[in-house]
Amino acid sequence: MALSPADAPKSAAASAKAIPVKAKALTILNSSNGSAPSSAPTPSNDGPQDLSEQLNAQIRQKYVQGGRLGEGTYAVVYSGHLVSDHSSLVAIKKIKVNAEYKDGLAMDAVREVKHLQELSHPNIIKLHAVFSTRDQNLNLVLEHLPLGDLETLWKNKDVSYGPADIKAWTGMLARAVWFCHENYVLHRDIKGNNLLIAADGEVKLADFGLARSFADPYRNMTCNVITRFYRPPELLYGAKHYGGAVDVWSMGVVIAELAIREFFLPSETDLEQLDRIAEVFGSPTEEVWPGVSKLEYYVAPSKEHIKRPLPLAWWKQKFGMLGDDGIDMLRSMCTLDPRKRATARQVLEHPYWQAAPKPTPKQNLPRNAGGPKKMADDLKRRGGEIEEGRADKVARKLDFSTMKK
Amino acid sequence: MSRAAQRSGATPSKRLAEDGDICPVCKSSRYLNPNMRFLVNPECYHKMCESCVDRIFSHGPAPCPIAGCRRTLRKAKFRKQTFEDIQVEREVDIRRRMAKTFNRREDDFVSLLDYNDYLEKVENFTWNLINGVDIEETEKTIAAYAEENRREISRNESVAAQEAQSRKARAAEELELIRLRREDARREDELERREKADMRRGIINKLATTDGDAASIAREGQRVVLKKSLARRAAIDKQRDNDPFAASTENGEASSGLIFKGLKKWVPPAPEKPYDPFGGWSVENEYFVLQDHYDWDWLSQAQTDIRHTAGGYDVNDYCARALCEAFSGFGVFIEDEVAGRNVGSAPSIATAAAAVTGSEKPDVNMDDIF
Repeated sequence: MALSPADAPKSAAASAKAIPVKAKALTILNSSNGSAPSSAPTPSNDGPQDLSEQLNAQIRQKYVQGGRLGEGTYAVVYSGHLVSDHSSLVAIKKIKVNAEYKDGLAMDAVREVKHLQELSHPNIIKLHAVFSTRDQNLNLVLEHLPLGDLETLWKNKDVSYGPADIKAWTGMLARAVWFCHENYVLHRDIKGNNLLIAADGEVKLADFGLARSFADPYRNMTCNVITRFYRPPELLYGAKHYGGAVDVWSMGVVIAELAIREFFLPSETDLEQLDRIAEVFGSPTEEVWPGVSKLEYYVAPSKEHIKRPLPLAWWKQKFGMLGDDGIDMLRSMCTLDPRKRATARQVLEHPYWQAAPKPTPKQNLPRNAGGPKKMADDLKRRGGEIEEGRADKVARKLDFSTMKK
Repeated sequence: MSRAAQRSGATPSKRLAEDGDICPVCKSSRYLNPNMRFLVNPECYHKMCESCVDRIFSHGPAPCPIAGCRRTLRKAKFRKQTFEDIQVEREVDIRRRMAKTFNRREDDFVSLLDYNDYLEKVENFTWNLINGVDIEETEKTIAAYAEENRREISRNESVAAQEAQSRKARAAEELELIRLRREDARREDELERREKADMRRGIINKLATTDGDAASIAREGQRVVLKKSLARRAAIDKQRDNDPFAASTENGEASSGLIFKGLKKWVPPAPEKPYDPFGGWSVENEYFVLQDHYDWDWLSQAQTDIRHTAGGYDVNDYCARALCEAFSGFGVFIEDEVAGRNVGSAPSIATAAAAVTGSEKPDVNMDDIF
């Protein structure tokens, strides 16, 4: 054994007894990506801590929890820093114990931890560590991103930005999505307020509470993901098998919102969302999207109600900020048929990035004074929520009944 | 009256010539022509009067009319002498020319020592030119240097011009501000005077119309004026506080220093790198090559199933993922990683310990936790 149990602090010993199973799970998280099968000596009831408890305590003691930044239904966010270095700030996201998942961890937390620990990229929020505390809470130690998010940025009329700034932000967003997809992770909740801004201006994709890896064939995935404004038509039609194209659609909507500084496709219900999409991109029919009629919730529009897509002139007039190349890229990202939609890689290979103007260097990007408060608001949110929406706007509560069909 | 008259002893004509009041070319003197102006040409610095210059050089370049000097002079180069001593005039000209060529600044150099060395070298050249030492060689070196460093010289020139301009602008700004302030003060005085007169008139009127105590009425009036002037002064102060322009001139020294610094810190722009949308990242498979098609019934069914394809599901993604996962352990050496992590981070200990215990007694329940 690498450690003598005597080293372990007493407080952790007391707390750890209550949660032997959870602590064991965390041992795996904090070890080498969960690849090494771990086994701890069976904990005796009044004996010394088992290995996983010690490890948990060790990690816990590395961080100092500071003031509370915010609280949501799903998590509480605290500021914090390393014990050894007070200037290295972190955000500690404490997942609340959920009544629905009494027997284990909340699905969101599992997804978040599982995928974040695998992904290490400058445009994806970093998960520094995970530990559990006395009250059976799971704590995620996340990167400290104090400058708000992209949605508050375009909503803040005091901040003005130009085409070069949009290009810089979308570039960072596209890199994050591309990296997820290269590593076979679907984010499934890309939207403006999940794109947090670091102190140096870098945009980071956060909230992996809805993420999953690319599915095996014949394996159903839920279509009840992604906040509605950003949900692609195939999910609205109830597709059970989909790929990275769903994230690309969301990404396109986020870019469009940055350019017009308002919601691009706002709606109250899923049906209205489909209407909004049809108004802009035309009605999805078998001609433009072969096979769409086979999707579960598809209702063919009657002949006289088939809408035509809006002309290029409309795009040019509305999205002048993006330039012709940008409009072309945006339209390729928001193609109705997911097979014809650009992949994240194709987005990054688009001539838009090489066209003038060059993206603004990140240190010169305009920023708003979001502050840590805003970061907490973003982190504590549960995936799929719209910020100021009422409860009926909540896009998703993971609903596994659809999978049983 | 004239200087010549004051100095007795020397012959007047000699004195006049030395003083430069007689043109050495046409011998006309200031006595005869009070408007006479003398000009020199920096080519040879021989002095002559304006009319001689017009007469000799109007039709193009001509040799200097002074005996023994055969330099060709042009009319355009003639100018008024600034310094009485012609040697000083010449030195200043040479220095001006040198400064134009050698216009490097201190922050072009890594250290002060380098800059001082450079200054010394330049001073040596200047000395040579002034005193006529190795003139030909020096000129050649300078010309070569100017040719080599044409770009830097013009850059520094433009920087200097910019600086001069901003300095001028700042000076003008300051003057304008002083003018405004003076005007304000004047207006205020005027107002105060008028108010005082009004007050006096008011008191007299009051004394005439009412029958109160004269002293108390006068005191009352005085207080009103004092209050008014105090309020006005406060308003001005407040305005000054709010005026960002005024604030910036208040600490004019600091802000001008900043401008100066910005100009000075001219870094040559780094070679423009083309924007890399991938941010320098690339994902490549080291251990396998993905085929376009895998002949496998189970897969091909999904490939053709409309419910899979219509939703954008791509079987190739599955194949890529499966292969990637199959090979993802390749090239990972746990010993190295453990050794690397042991340097002081807690998770490293976890890895090592977990690996040790794992080999003894695998815990099957743990595998399935996700």
